[in-house]
Amino acid sequence: MEQFGLGIGIAALGAGIGLGLIGYGAMQGMARQPEALGRIQIAMLIAFAFVELVFLLTVFIIPGTLKG
Amino acid sequence: MSFWGLAFYVVLVLAVILGTMAYAKTGLSDRVFKNPLTRLYEHVYIFVKNLCVSIIGPHGERFVPMMFTFWIVIFVGNITALLFPTSPTADLSFNLGMALIAVGYVQYAGIVSQYEHLRHEGVSAAAAIPKAIFRHLMHFTGPRLPLVLIPISGLIFVVELISEVMKNVSLSLRLYGNIDGGHQAADAMNKLLYDYYIPVGAFLMPIKLLTCIVQALIFCLLTCVYISLVTHHEEESHDTKEAHAAAH
Repeated sequence: MEQFGLGIGIAALGAGIGLGLIGYGAMQGMARQPEALGRIQIAMLIAFAFVELVFLLTVFIIPGTLKG
Repeated sequence: MSFWGLAFYVVLVLAVILGTMAYAKTGLSDRVFKNPLTRLYEHVYIFVKNLCVSIIGPHGERFVPMMFTFWIVIFVGNITALLFPTSPTADLSFNLGMALIAVGYVQYAGIVSQYEHLRHEGVSAAAAIPKAIFRHLMHFTGPRLPLVLIPISGLIFVVELISEVMKNVSLSLRLYGNIDGGHQAADAMNKLLYDYYIPVGAFLMPIKLLTCIVQALIFCLLTCVYISLVTHHEEESHDTKEAHAAAH
């Protein structure tokens, strides 16, 4: 895992920024339209899942495949 | 994980689900449910039903049994990861099998929906089946384009087929990565104070519990979204509008 240290840090940075943007947008939407709360939450969770998948691929799948 | 290791955990999860469900079934009655397990299952059922109806639309109730099964199997499998060294959902083969079932069920739902649409139009039962399959395949070619742009439709077809295969990969890898990643993170945190016999990784348990619920929810949610994409028809949107108008 040592040889991937900096790369994993950058991956965490990118995923963190992406998740933060989703949370920012969703919270702003929920504050402006509280009646659409349920639908916004569902869309937010789907977007979370897609960002999370990229991060998981970077951290757990790619190092394992590169090692052999 | 070895074959028998996986088999042990799958049987464990199935035994827990079937045992609790059999016990919950004894509490069924015409009036108020007094059995706490029956009440719990009723709440889970209502939750999954609301999820299906809110995403797929008014015709989403028929997909509740499949979604409920996915939800229960994934949730109990994830909870197993908290109490045991490993779990079925921390193994890629189990997740890939479940994702294949989910995507295959989406194709089945799309064909059945087209079939019922054709039967509604008055096509005979024997002629409707190949037509329904053809219409479902035409669904992959995107919007109807003029004759000059037919090659574009072919390209869209290829891209849609690839995306259909990648749905399996994304569904299974997401679940596997989250559960197995949680294990690896707990291991890494346990190593921090290993010399003093303090299991720091145990503090990750609340986050792992949250992950369990969210991952089961996401799997069902995405399957519902895929189903809603293939079973959407014109007149049903009219029904939705009328239902909304009636609700207001």
